Amino acid sequence: MFSSLFLTGLFFLFFGALLPLLSVRSGRYVRTATLGFTAVAAVLLLVSSAGVFTGDVQEEIASYNVSNALSFSFALDRLSSFFIIVISVVSFCVAIYSAGYIEHGGGNAKRNILAGLMNVFIASMVLVVASTNTFSFLFFWEIMSLASFFLVMYDYEKKETRKAGIFYFIMTQLSTVFLMVGFLALYQVNGSFNIEAMGSASQLMTTAIFLSLLTGFCIKAGVIPFHKWLPYAHAASPSNISALMSGVMIKVAVYGLMRFVLYVLGPVDWWGILILVLGTISAIFGIIYALKEHDIKRLLAYSSIENIGTILIGFGLYIIFQAHNLPAIAYLGLAGSLFHVLNHGVFKSLLFMATGSIVNATDTRDLEGMGGLIKKMPYTAALFLIGSLSISALPPLNGFVSEYMLFAAFFSSNTLGDPMLTILLVLCLSVFALTSAFVATCFVKAYGIMFLGLPRTDACANAKEAKKPMILGPAILAALCILLGVFSPALLSASGYGTLPVPDLMLVGSFLLATYAIIWAALYHSYPNKTRVGATWDCGTPLSSRTQYTASGFSQPIMRMFKATYKTKEIPERTFYDKQNSLFRSGEAKVTLLKFFEEYLYMPVGKKVMSLSIRVSRMQNWNLDTYIAYAFVAVLLVLVYVGWLI
Amino acid sequence: MITAALAESLTQALVVLVLISGAFIVTRKDLLSLVSTYQMQSLLLAGVALSLYSVDQSPTLLYLAGLTLVSKVLLIPYIIKRIQRKINISRDMEFHYVSPIASIFITIILILLVYGAFSNILKELALSNLFYLGAVFGISLTLMGMLITFSRKKVITKIIGYLTMENGVLLFSLFITELPFIIEVLILVDLFMIVLLATILSIGMDSSVEAYQERFHQLHIEDLQEKLHLHRKHRGES
Repeated sequence: MFSSLFLTGLFFLFFGALLPLLSVRSGRYVRTATLGFTAVAAVLLLVSSAGVFTGDVQEEIASYNVSNALSFSFALDRLSSFFIIVISVVSFCVAIYSAGYIEHGGGNAKRNILAGLMNVFIASMVLVVASTNTFSFLFFWEIMSLASFFLVMYDYEKKETRKAGIFYFIMTQLSTVFLMVGFLALYQVNGSFNIEAMGSASQLMTTAIFLSLLTGFCIKAGVIPFHKWLPYAHAASPSNISALMSGVMIKVAVYGLMRFVLYVLGPVDWWGILILVLGTISAIFGIIYALKEHDIKRLLAYSSIENIGTILIGFGLYIIFQAHNLPAIAYLGLAGSLFHVLNHGVFKSLLFMATGSIVNATDTRDLEGMGGLIKKMPYTAALFLIGSLSISALPPLNGFVSEYMLFAAFFSSNTLGDPMLTILLVLCLSVFALTSAFVATCFVKAYGIMFLGLPRTDACANAKEAKKPMILGPAILAALCILLGVFSPALLSASGYGTLPVPDLMLVGSFLLATYAIIWAALYHSYPNKTRVGATWDCGTPLSSRTQYTASGFSQPIMRMFKATYKTKEIPERTFYDKQNSLFRSGEAKVTLLKFFEEYLYMPVGKKVMSLSIRVSRMQNWNLDTYIAYAFVAVLLVLVYVGWLI
Repeated sequence: MITAALAESLTQALVVLVLISGAFIVTRKDLLSLVSTYQMQSLLLAGVALSLYSVDQSPTLLYLAGLTLVSKVLLIPYIIKRIQRKINISRDMEFHYVSPIASIFITIILILLVYGAFSNILKELALSNLFYLGAVFGISLTLMGMLITFSRKKVITKIIGYLTMENGVLLFSLFITELPFIIEVLILVDLFMIVLLATILSIGMDSSVEAYQERFHQLHIEDLQEKLHLHRKHRGES
């Protein structure tokens, strides 16, 4: 029953991919129909996966043999169905949003291809998660990478997009290489491509497989230091695709990591520590980089890195506590991590879609060029506010619940019995707490600069509210943000985690609401009702939109504090009239930012590869004599090998 | 007739002479003596086949000797000499990677290397001295041919290098694995093809491959441009 629903959903996606690609030049109706197919498919997938998830059943879907050894086979269990729920919820809303969004920019052909490829992208993500052998996992992983690559390259006319696309393509292929190495090693041990518990292997082999898979998945998930593609690709792609990539695709990598670590390799204590530390580093550095960013989409991309870090922290905690035989706390970590997967999917796609509407209306991604949009785009502003509150983990929204669970797991670190480990966990806890505070700072800045104050540009002053589908799509997600938070205890107990200590947010929420109501009523009554209109005191200088607080101004104290992290260099150059340096003549000051990872990690590796490639390509000089000489040397080597080495 | 012992020492002498002719080809620069040496080498090979026939009495050897005599001693050298007369150059002075003097040292190392390798490879076969010698010299001659092919720039010397390689293969097959006769014939057909191609290409024979390619290329492009020009003119008029 569930499997036939699942297959019907896939069929809709397939048809939705085929339709616009077959009639590339056709108009709007085809695209709307296509996105309708996507939405129907998402609902079908949601129903089937939710059925499997709540029923706790193992559902075999289908299996197609390619050859004797290789086959595509799919099944759903609790873990995969959970991730498919996330994929389908986000896809449904993105499909609705896209019906409006896709009509901006590009010709008919480009829009149709965008709609078609989006279906390919969604279908490939679903199939990666449903795969039960490494062959089909890797196959659809590649389809996913390629589809997303083409989607990122949507605005290929721009140089920035081409750079982002190529960067993304290289990184994603690198990730595939690591996965393939890991999978082949796994095949060496198991003798089959099935994703099943690994047979007996040496410690070294298991560790090597783990590290290879971890690297592969971390590249795709954008974990620091493999994150550099993420801000480029997310900023360059259309906003509905950013929503899918950030909300869902990087979660597929998390799924892969969880699947292989938990179900195949069997975790060891130090893996958990490694994952926890990686997660903590990603979380804190992700948000620190987000704080300095003024390109709103890049800011959201860095925030995704932070959230992936948060998810990994929960997973790391699970492994550590499980290894120390504390299952209750371990499940708190895992449930927190998984719940955060869902929450981040919901609020990050919401934020990306709202941002897409704003970027469309104002034609800029730079925060410094926005402002005052709350009056022009009230609905979008409200949606963005809910997303911001949720990502800042304020009760009673969903972000609060998952972070609360992780904090609760962290607080139990004194039960571990290993003092060094406890110290490490407390350190990570403090960094994580700092991260949470920074997230709030970051989104106060983003919301304040974008929506409040006066418009900083004409485009911004003339902005129009987005079309209905572009409000409806994110609105569903905003509603989910609230519902997932308020009904979290009920939801957790429905999914079998009823014993976890989660606060009743219904109560907290109504308490908060009551408090606000009382304060508002008190203020309303105690303040005079008369409205006075007068000019702002401006020290004699007329105020304009340029005298507002800016995004750079907002983040400047933090830039100062983390000077060492940003590697900023402030170079003031001053000349004076006199020797005592008191009469100022002229001066110039500049602030430079060092792109640490690019200049110290990516570029050196890139240069090495480049010089090696040049050396190899020099061997190909299009000269017949050279090739005969190669053959000659090869024959000699064969002679030496046969004569002495056998 | 000839006794087996006499035949054996005669073969041995002929094989050594074949190798010496190979070394001669490696070092010579003037084209005429290159072709003559190749002619001589092929004649010596035919002699080897005949003297083996006197021991073995296998008719294939006789056919091989005849075939070699007709094609490699008479026909191919005749064609190449004709080309040489036409292109009017007598010396090949351009080299790639190794000069003739260096080539002779490389040749010595080659023979030692092949000898060493084969002493390990053919240990189990327990061959007689003669057959062992033939195999080693056959492979060495093939490698020397290859050396000529890539170290000379002129096409015509390259072809002689290629022909020498084929002689090496023939020598090896005479002693170790008797190739089916039909394959020998096919190889000969190949040789004729290459020599014929050389004749067709003889407009470019007076230069190196690169220069010839360039000339060919230019010709082609000019041709195309002319066509394009004509085409445009035609369209403009209509």
